[in-house]
Amino acid sequence: MRDVWVAGAAMTRVGRRSERLQDLMAEAAHGALRSAGLDAPDAIVVAAMNPEEFVGDGNFASNAAAHLGFAQAPALRVETATSSGAAAFYAGFALLAAGLRRAVLVVGGEKMTHLATPRVSELIGRSLDPYERSYGATMPALAALVTRALMARGVGARELAQVAVKNHANALRNPYAHFRRAVTPEEVLESRMVADPLRLLHCCPISDGAAAVVLTADRAGVRVAGIGQGSDTLALRHRQILTSFRATQAAAAEAFAMAGFGPERVDVAELHDAFAPFELISLEDLGLVPPGKAGRVTLDGETALDGRLPVNPSGGLKARGHPLAATGLAQIVECVWQLTGRAEGRQTQARVALAQSIGGLATNNWVTLLEAA
Amino acid sequence: MIEAIEASRCPACRAIVAPPASYCPRHPVAMEPVSLPGAGEIVSFTTLHAPPAGFRAPLHIALIELEGGARFVCHGADTRGLRIGSRVAIEAVDSVYYFSHLGAVDRARLFWHRAGRAGDRVSAIARSLAKRVFKGRARASS
Repeated sequence: MRDVWVAGAAMTRVGRRSERLQDLMAEAAHGALRSAGLDAPDAIVVAAMNPEEFVGDGNFASNAAAHLGFAQAPALRVETATSSGAAAFYAGFALLAAGLRRAVLVVGGEKMTHLATPRVSELIGRSLDPYERSYGATMPALAALVTRALMARGVGARELAQVAVKNHANALRNPYAHFRRAVTPEEVLESRMVADPLRLLHCCPISDGAAAVVLTADRAGVRVAGIGQGSDTLALRHRQILTSFRATQAAAAEAFAMAGFGPERVDVAELHDAFAPFELISLEDLGLVPPGKAGRVTLDGETALDGRLPVNPSGGLKARGHPLAATGLAQIVECVWQLTGRAEGRQTQARVALAQSIGGLATNNWVTLLEAA
Repeated sequence: MIEAIEASRCPACRAIVAPPASYCPRHPVAMEPVSLPGAGEIVSFTTLHAPPAGFRAPLHIALIELEGGARFVCHGADTRGLRIGSRVAIEAVDSVYYFSHLGAVDRARLFWHRAGRAGDRVSAIARSLAKRVFKGRARASS
């Protein structure tokens, strides 16, 4: 397997955007190519979770490639629900690791805010098991089942709230974030109940945005040290354990095995906090903190920007925002910026960064490890 | 009466899933049909305050572990007093499943059901009693 390098990274500001999805992707893609000093890639991997329904366009690899000005570059689309961006990164990595290509553009994006919230929830919910959906289960509903089980194991309301408080505080320093405002623990605890015990400020927003990276066979500032994929049953009821995600554990095991080092080497992490409790679950699934300690560690400030292990310096899905297929790549863009000293205003001292992306209700998860050259 | 829940069992790992599935989620083998008593324990539950289109708020959803180990998702009329580990019975209304929190009478009924023939006899008596009362009412109102 050949070494693969991240030569360029860029993203759009996340939030409510008026541009078309293809224009958001172009902004990110052209930015990534510029930062890599590359005129044209020799292949493109596109991530979009559901452009057919969100914007009404299909054949989307060709659609996006042509819009970007690369109609003659080979393009393919990758989709694994909410982790599509991370999956596309893997596909690009594999093309280079196998020696099939020398410079690959990976771009992901989603445009959702032009639709009404119930419609967006329904479309995202289609990634869930059809039987559970027939009982009204949505992503927040199943996340709420997970959260209640987590709280029964001793995770407190303050610990959950602190995840949101921390990530909003980080987003305040990130010009690309959807929410640039701080929240207090009280605001989180008093926010509207969405799916008991999950409240509005435990949940990520509906966002538009795009992110892109350029992967090359030629040495650049950041090396892909390891990638892992993990999966689990589509139906939540087919699992015996709710409070940890097998898909994350399997992805982490694969990624760390490829990298040849363990979680103790990770200096900064971008985790999939679509719901605040997922950050706590993920910290433990990834082996970044001992089992049962994620809440305590968070309350103690160890995962804050100035803590031992900064988690979600970008603000995470919670506050940077969650433009579905852009998210996995936006996490990687943030990691690249952290490793190359370009995370102005929220810079950490890091040599190894970890990005974790959750697809569906943890059915198809990814862990990506990046190392400064 | 206790509802029977149709389910299926994997011949390879013995895992049971409900409702029935063609193949085991973890093994590429055809599953065998089994039937489970519609009673179990609450694994987790939630109340949706902004349910998707086609549902009315508040929408109660629970994950229940049935006797036999399969987990089941269904609705409920209420979650007051409900806790993880609470015993519930499952009933089908228009082929939609609902849980109800088991009170002392329900528990006794479950006990009788489990006790076998004696329980059947008692519930048969209860059913015929209920029918008689119902018929009496119907006659009175006509």
